[in-house]
Amino acid sequence: MIDALAAGPVDLLATRSYYAGTFLLLGIGAYVMIASPNLVKKVIGMNIFQTGIFLFFIASAYVDGAQNPIVGPKATGPFVSPLPHVLILTAIVVGVSLTAVALGLIVRIYNEYGTLEADVLQEVRSDD
Amino acid sequence: MTDLPPFLVALPLVASVVVLFAGLVRSETGWPIAAMAGLGQLGLAGYVAYQVFTAGPTSYVVGGYEAFYGIELVIDGLSASVVVLIAAVSLGVLAFARTAGPRGNPFYATYLLLVGGLTGVVITGDVFNMYVFIEISGLTAYALVASGDTGRSAVAALKYLIVGTVGASLYLLGVGYAYIGTGTLNMADLSAALPTVADGLGYQSTLVQTAFAFIAIGLFIKTAVFPLHTWQPEAYAGSPDSVSGFISALVSTTFAYALIRISLTVFTPDFFAAVDAAQTLLIVGAVVSIVAGSALAVSQSEIKRMLAYSSVSQFGLVLAGLAVLNQTALIGATVHLVGHAIMKGGLFLAAGLIATATGAREVHEYEGLSERMPYAAGAFAVLAFAMVGVPPAVGFVGKWYIAVGAVQAQLWPLAAVILLSTLLTLAYFARLVERMYFREPAATGDLAEGEGTADTRPDAVVADGGRPSVGMYVVVVVAAVLAVALGAAVVPFAEYLQPTIDLLLP
Amino acid sequence: MTEITPSLRPLAAVLVPAIAIVPILLSGRRPNLRESWTVLAALGAFGIVASMVPGVLSGSVYATQLGAFLPGVQFTLRADALGILFGLLASLLWVITSFYSMGYMRGLDEHDQTRYFAAFAASVASAIGVAFAGNLFVIFVFYELLTVATYPLVAHDETEEARAAGRKYLTYTFGGGVAVFAGAVLVFWLTAGGTAAGTTAFTPGGIAALATADPMIARVAFALLAGGFGVKAALMPLHSWLPDAMVAPTPVSGLLHAVAVVKSGVFGIARVVLDIYGPGLVGELGMGTILAAVAAFTLVVASIIALRQDNLKRRLAFSTVSQLSYIVLGLAVGAAAAPGRASAYALVGGLLHIPAHAFMKLTLFFCAGALHVETHTDDISNMAGIGHRMPVTMGAFAVAAAGMAGIPLVAGFVSKYFLLIGTVSAGNVIFAAALLISGVLNIAYFWPVVYTAFFEKPTESDPKPLVEGPLGGRFAGTDPGTAEGLVTDGGRDDRHTDGGDPSDDEADTDHGFAESHEGQGIEDKIDAAEQLHHEHGPDERLDWEHRRWIGEESTWLMLGPICFAALGSVVLGIVPDTAVFLEIVRLIVENVTGVVV
Repeated sequence: MIDALAAGPVDLLATRSYYAGTFLLLGIGAYVMIASPNLVKKVIGMNIFQTGIFLFFIASAYVDGAQNPIVGPKATGPFVSPLPHVLILTAIVVGVSLTAVALGLIVRIYNEYGTLEADVLQEVRSDD
Repeated sequence: MTDLPPFLVALPLVASVVVLFAGLVRSETGWPIAAMAGLGQLGLAGYVAYQVFTAGPTSYVVGGYEAFYGIELVIDGLSASVVVLIAAVSLGVLAFARTAGPRGNPFYATYLLLVGGLTGVVITGDVFNMYVFIEISGLTAYALVASGDTGRSAVAALKYLIVGTVGASLYLLGVGYAYIGTGTLNMADLSAALPTVADGLGYQSTLVQTAFAFIAIGLFIKTAVFPLHTWQPEAYAGSPDSVSGFISALVSTTFAYALIRISLTVFTPDFFAAVDAAQTLLIVGAVVSIVAGSALAVSQSEIKRMLAYSSVSQFGLVLAGLAVLNQTALIGATVHLVGHAIMKGGLFLAAGLIATATGAREVHEYEGLSERMPYAAGAFAVLAFAMVGVPPAVGFVGKWYIAVGAVQAQLWPLAAVILLSTLLTLAYFARLVERMYFREPAATGDLAEGEGTADTRPDAVVADGGRPSVGMYVVVVVAAVLAVALGAAVVPFAEYLQPTIDLLLP
Repeated sequence: MTEITPSLRPLAAVLVPAIAIVPILLSGRRPNLRESWTVLAALGAFGIVASMVPGVLSGSVYATQLGAFLPGVQFTLRADALGILFGLLASLLWVITSFYSMGYMRGLDEHDQTRYFAAFAASVASAIGVAFAGNLFVIFVFYELLTVATYPLVAHDETEEARAAGRKYLTYTFGGGVAVFAGAVLVFWLTAGGTAAGTTAFTPGGIAALATADPMIARVAFALLAGGFGVKAALMPLHSWLPDAMVAPTPVSGLLHAVAVVKSGVFGIARVVLDIYGPGLVGELGMGTILAAVAAFTLVVASIIALRQDNLKRRLAFSTVSQLSYIVLGLAVGAAAAPGRASAYALVGGLLHIPAHAFMKLTLFFCAGALHVETHTDDISNMAGIGHRMPVTMGAFAVAAAGMAGIPLVAGFVSKYFLLIGTVSAGNVIFAAALLISGVLNIAYFWPVVYTAFFEKPTESDPKPLVEGPLGGRFAGTDPGTAEGLVTDGGRDDRHTDGGDPSDDEADTDHGFAESHEGQGIEDKIDAAEQLHHEHGPDERLDWEHRRWIGEESTWLMLGPICFAALGSVVLGIVPDTAVFLEIVRLIVENVTGVVV
């Protein structure tokens, strides 16, 4: 892992492409959350942000030329590490429930104020 | 070793499901079941804490899968204290919520789920498991904030949800780094493995430092440390009174605990000794939070927002206790963690009580309150002065430990800010006390109008309670009495805590 | 020499007034019952404190141990000589102030009397706690509680001015509290010297471990402690809350802002100088001279400011600021001078001035309050001839004022005599000069009051020096009696004269005075004028009604305390050796310095 740091930036990107992907997703997610005035898009941004982290975990489990970690008579290692997959499965469940709650809230906000735009919402509320 | 720890989480979770299903049969069943579960939880937590304080830390391997693969629950003095705090405060708030609302079985189910989630965060010995519990607490907290029936609650909850999720995700990212470096998620294994990662580069490696930075920032967001506090004032102010009392007392407290736990158990003091920047991060967070939180609190006109910013400032103080990294200050941080929960929870409930009775939610509406509600105003004033740090209340004792710790560590600027925080806190509480006791209430015409607008104001979160009950008064007064009386109990508490502190900060 | 006797009496002395709060609050509907609780508690507290005096004089120290408050910090209440001096004073004067309060509060038919009496009891409990505190932390605890307990009394009027004064009071004194806290933490840390826990327990002559500690940090700690206590002791430039706090009812100004609260600050400084650092170490660190310089500056400047005050209570307040610095000066000079008789004399003078000033200033405030209740007169310029209306009151005022100025046979003389001897024999010419100048200034600001009360008539009074013109008298160049436009008290000319709602013109003043309560300027003049009668003589001049010297002027609830306090000042002045205070002071100084005075 440290050896890669010694190589040039291009090599680094090539060998750590998943890494770049992770932070690209994190960046996009954060940007959408902050910049988009639409509440639903903010939630989408949040999902993208989380997806970046999922990718990070899953990629870390990857081992060159390894098999699925299904242990049986025919399986002879090396295996891909199964633990991150399990973890991320949990995290995805958490993410889904978060999205559900968020969308539920958005429905309520829409019923109450009749808008999904954060800036309009602010105006409506300051008028009250 | 005892088999009780998993029940600390299981009891509220199961009770939550029971409440939900009981609600399908009969609608008025929520409170009694929740109260029974709360009592059981308190008894259980008390018993476990007793065992921990007498026989030393205990741990439990879930499902028989040994640590490294399996999940371990670890309870030492620090976590036992917070577990008891959670059980006690949740029971108190439950008593308050009986008349103050919100009611309904879904509310009580969510409430118990939050208790279970927070307890899980505190007793788990596994960093990923902690993430799951953080998200459980987060989800239920968002739902509770949104239980206020108004648009304002929903907007506050959505903001809380988005910011809170980012915080939890950053925590997860940090955990990912640590996992990649070490291949383990168990806290004890991690602390043993971290010094040797990256070919022995250990704490100096970017990997470990990045992991710490992400975890710390993630938990800063969850704890609402300035400037990452943006979700918190609106979430506290926008939720129903019982909920803001509960969340303000426990949620940030639990995440501050998580920060202490991760910093000291996983990264250990050696990490801070090796990496100056890590300690600097904590100190800067503490100082900025104390000062900025107080300054913002002074400028608020809504009581609950003011109290919320006060929390930002007080958690700065807790963070300071951690950042000093010596035993005295750590005891102080623990004491203030517990003390703040009782004081701030009491203050929010007192504010809720006052709002229920008079509709007063703004600072100026508190004028002449002592005439109308002597007991509530008295309790509010006592809690406020305790928070300022007037001895011998618990607010003073915590501050004293932290200050002495800072002086021992010769961190002079931090010590100065800690001492000045007394005056900063005074700045925003004194004006309330003055209004309650030394101003005549506004003219009667204004008052009636004020009440009218308070109730019809679309943004105001009006609980479906109505008249305050005796139970609400009792809870608030008990909080005020505890805030003063616990000050005397700190010395024996610190003695019980000492073995744990010795382990955390050798 | 000193033996520590475990006893519950120091605790009881604190608890009696503290517990009295409950029945006082409960019997709020029945004033007579409520006041009898106050009197009972006052007598009880005084009795308990007095019962310890003989023991303390014979060398024992009563102590109550209440276990560890913080690790290494015991919650100890102990009555040693210095503690008993302040405790005795506070509890004795509380008794007479209780009676006076009844007369005053009922005479004015004040609102919220229950809160007033409850807060008063809480303040006294805290003050006795300060007196009997066994270490820096306990004293800090009670010092803060005293602030909280006194706040309702300062803001009692519930006017904008009173609230402003209350805010200022809280800010100043909590600021001081923080400084004390910081200083205490530093001392705790310094005395630890690397070991487990330090100490802040009061030890006559100073804590030994401090002498070997880092001198720089020791200086910082001393500055923090002296500055923190200096807030309540009204050392300049931290004094400005005190004149503003005069908006409180007069008994509060009398007992708390001349005795209990401000003296708790002075007492704190005394504890720090005598029992934490020890006079020798303070001198070595070079802090004695600095403290003495601050005190000397304060006592001269405050006297000069007092000259310009037309409102009697404000003048008394600045006089308090000045007189408190006598005490601090005594302590500081005693610390700065080489150990020996000179140092001991200065210490005796400073400490003796604590009771001496208490008696005299209490008399003066009681007089000012009686004038306010009976004639609604608060400004000195309206007091011409008032001696006819209030003969006993103004007579007592004259006696106490003479004592303030250091005229023999009254208490102030004895303490100032010791102070002067101490300063001169220590060779501090400048400080001695400051004492003498201030003595002259004392006469300058008290004499006009006495003069105008007895030797002038409302229609033919001279303008007073500095208040209405630089020189006063016939040099002032204004027509006597028509000086309305010249009231120099800070542009108060623009006020409405209809005595209207005080809340809507809060901005034009920074004195912290509610106009309707303690009228000043024109309003006061109107109030005073209403009291004037046409004489039955041939010329039918306006004059105060004449009352005889047998108590027709007011109720004995007020006159009794006035006479008692005035008598106290005289007894302290004529036979100081039989009054117990000097004996206590000698014992304190002997314990600390080893010099028998």
